[in-house]
Amino acid sequence: MKKLIIIALALSLLKISSNNVFAQGSELQGTLTLSGAWAIYPTAVAWAEGFQKKYPKVKIDVSAGGAGKGATDAITGLVDIGMVSREPDPAEIKKGITPVYILHDAVFAVINEKNPALESILKKGVNKENFIDSWVNGSIATWDKVAASKVNKPIHLFTRSDSCGAAQSWAGYLGKKQEDLKGIGVYGDPGILEAVKKDPIGIGYNNFSYVFSRDGALANGIRLVPIDSNENGKADADEIYTNRDEAVKAIRAGRYPATRRNYFFVKGKPAGLVREFILFALSEEGVKIVDEVGASLSLATQEREKVLKSLE
Amino acid sequence: MYQKRTIKDITAKHIMFTLTLLVSLLVVVIAWGLFTRSRPILSENSLTALLFSVKWHPTQGQFGFAPFILGTIYVTLVAIVLAVPLAIFSAVFLAEYAPKALRNSFKPVLDLLAGISPVIFGAFGVLVIVPLVQKYLLPVVAHLAKFVPFLATNNFTGFGVFSAGIILAMMIFPIMTQVAEEVIHSIPKEVRDSSLALGATHWETIKYVVLKKSRPGIIAAVILGLARAFGETIAVLMVVGNVVQIPKSLFDAAYTLPALIANNYGEMMSIPLYDSALLLAALILLVVTVFFNILAWLILARVEKAYV
Repeated sequence: MKKLIIIALALSLLKISSNNVFAQGSELQGTLTLSGAWAIYPTAVAWAEGFQKKYPKVKIDVSAGGAGKGATDAITGLVDIGMVSREPDPAEIKKGITPVYILHDAVFAVINEKNPALESILKKGVNKENFIDSWVNGSIATWDKVAASKVNKPIHLFTRSDSCGAAQSWAGYLGKKQEDLKGIGVYGDPGILEAVKKDPIGIGYNNFSYVFSRDGALANGIRLVPIDSNENGKADADEIYTNRDEAVKAIRAGRYPATRRNYFFVKGKPAGLVREFILFALSEEGVKIVDEVGASLSLATQEREKVLKSLE
Repeated sequence: MYQKRTIKDITAKHIMFTLTLLVSLLVVVIAWGLFTRSRPILSENSLTALLFSVKWHPTQGQFGFAPFILGTIYVTLVAIVLAVPLAIFSAVFLAEYAPKALRNSFKPVLDLLAGISPVIFGAFGVLVIVPLVQKYLLPVVAHLAKFVPFLATNNFTGFGVFSAGIILAMMIFPIMTQVAEEVIHSIPKEVRDSSLALGATHWETIKYVVLKKSRPGIIAAVILGLARAFGETIAVLMVVGNVVQIPKSLFDAAYTLPALIANNYGEMMSIPLYDSALLLAALILLVVTVFFNILAWLILARVEKAYV
């Protein structure tokens, strides 16, 4: 039985490795598989479309399933590229993974637009300490304590039930791990957004790609909580985001604190078709695609050059 | 020398037998696989310590399953309490009172209900049940909690044991009704006739004769529902709140074993023993489910024997 499995695995590996070859006349062909984070998925699909348009003989399959799935699939050789929306773990690097910095995005605290304390929250902003006290220590339980309002309402805290990049970065911003976050656990990005939309006194956190709709406006029924990152006791103009452009500007300028890097996980050193695809994603063309999709942010030019150099 | 036809016949028989055997062995293979993978954690901690500890901090190497086991049991209990009376009454109505046409048209409805994908129940829970519980039930509960035990909670979101129980009750109602109805239907007509001949009304006959006779079968139906409820994953996960704690109230958030596996499997590659702990959870689930199913099957087999 074991032998059979090993033989089957070996055969499948042979199949994968023989796929990524340059055909005669140096036209690219073969298949490429990606799986992983929800945050990267929309952009990766658009890249795949663009790449296939350029090289019609290449077939690319992209599937979602979460950062963990992407990392696991890449380690086990199930896919060529794992999409991972968090920092690589030393254990993963030890297993032969090369993380390629490919995109970045952010996580936002989200509240209902009908929140009774909305006005004071938008005026005052919420500082890191308050977030830590409510999400980690559980010592703040009312909106009045956070927003200095007088609505006398408890905070309904939501967190992600599934292990995911978004929760890890939000916890990371608060200096903790996902298991330390309190709150009702809801499954998936859409789940947490839905819970906040349905609950006027709820608060959750969402990936950049989920809080804005396609045209760049805020998703229906929600508001972003301004993070008072300079601790001056009020929400400044550049801490309040009502559309994607404003958020992008703040992230690009390094003023938004809860950001994270997204990676492509490749087993071993990227070569052949995998390398070509990464080069395409980091090219001017690739950057344009990222901005068109609007789900994540492309790297700054300097950073792109650094990554490209590491691939040589 | 066999004829060609006969050889075909014999080979077909053997191939089918082998395939059947392979399928039956599947449970054993799964259990064995889970056991080998959960051995690392069992070699570090005793099973009792794992089952009864309440501390769940994987990054600190603490794996206490008690909150998950109790969460699963509570949610299942709520579902059973809600669904069993409904299922028994529906089964009695269908078997005893309903005209044939209605009975025959209701069966596909039950099949349909049983066949709806759990994720749809989960979405229905998030979109309908949770807001209803939050808006209308919890304010009432807050007043009741002063004199009724197990109601006082500080979770007013609507996600929790009770909402999960409602969703589960909807999901296990069809299978319990179907089995109970079959059992009641299989009771010989003579038994009913004797009771009616002694002057009992239809309802008295059902109460003292039919239900008494079909009790073991109905218990089996309940156990089948239990087994399903115990292992239900995504629908519960979406509404139960997924907070690692031992729920003290009907409206507290809880965490179930299947939800634990579904939420974290494949994610925590880097934490030692984590996947071993998750596979142990899977093994516990498998053992419990198999146990329930065998129990129900044994009872049903006895019921069938009695009336054949």
